[in-house]
Amino acid sequence: MTLEASRPGPLSRRRFLALTAGLAAAAPLAAACTSASESAGPDPLVALATRARADADLARAVANTHPDLAAAAGVVAADRTAHAEALEREVRRVQPEGAPAPSGTASAAPGAPASPTAAETGLVEALRAAEKEAKDVVVAVPRYRAGLVGSVAASCASLREVLA
Amino acid sequence: MRSSTTPEPSNARVNADAVEAVQRALAVEHAAEWSYGVASAFVSNGKGLVGEGMDAHRSVRNSTEQMLRDSGATPVPPQPAYRVPKPVTDAASAAALLVIAESDAAAAWRAVLEHSDDPDLRRFAVEALTSAAVLATRWRVVSGQVPHTVAFPGQSG
Repeated sequence: MTLEASRPGPLSRRRFLALTAGLAAAAPLAAACTSASESAGPDPLVALATRARADADLARAVANTHPDLAAAAGVVAADRTAHAEALEREVRRVQPEGAPAPSGTASAAPGAPASPTAAETGLVEALRAAEKEAKDVVVAVPRYRAGLVGSVAASCASLREVLA
Repeated sequence: MRSSTTPEPSNARVNADAVEAVQRALAVEHAAEWSYGVASAFVSNGKGLVGEGMDAHRSVRNSTEQMLRDSGATPVPPQPAYRVPKPVTDAASAAALLVIAESDAAAAWRAVLEHSDDPDLRRFAVEALTSAAVLATRWRVVSGQVPHTVAFPGQSG
């Protein structure tokens, strides 16, 4: 589908993508070298994962209660669940035993606000807080984690556009 | 009310091993500006969004060039033209090009996060990544591309 390779010169998008993909692939190798040094203190990704689970629960409740918001809230629930799973995977990778299991512990599943406006506002505010928390964390985590945490922040901002 | 998609300028220093990733991001920013120029003639629904996206990329490009100069590197120049995956002939293909340009930008800035330690550079990169992800989402909404979001903007594969 790309008009590729016909002439040299301008850099194509495909080429940028390929180069970037190469960088991303190299990151896990770096990960293996540094993971041992970060065992002090609670893993900051646990809090991000817990928040992602809570947002997904809230979004599911909103989707079930407000048909008009079901499509958008369903997207939020799916993406925030994906965030929680990826963050939990990374927590377990670094600390296979010691890490608390952040999943499935949302004892009191949140109810959705009765008014659709309040439900939407609640989700938007939750995503705003999640974006801010991820942006605070991204500054100080090891490089290979910074990509994941940065993507979570960017995703939370994007999800607000779907609700807007 | 929507939040601004234009990241603030930064005083970040680019560490030596981040220069390559930042130069790559700059090259992608040049391509994004070019893409907005191409697409602007075709976009009907979303004229304001063209201006906003163009402003965001111009601002990121300026800041990135400054950061590189301040760190002793020579910023990569724009190419005269870029090959597009599909010809841009109407509003839909124009929006599709901009989704690609924004996705490329998101990937490039995520790569900067993975190749830098400086907190200021990280802050700038995550704002640029966020801006690109938000604009990509808006163009998907405008052009009716579903899903409107990706769970991990900038992540390859």
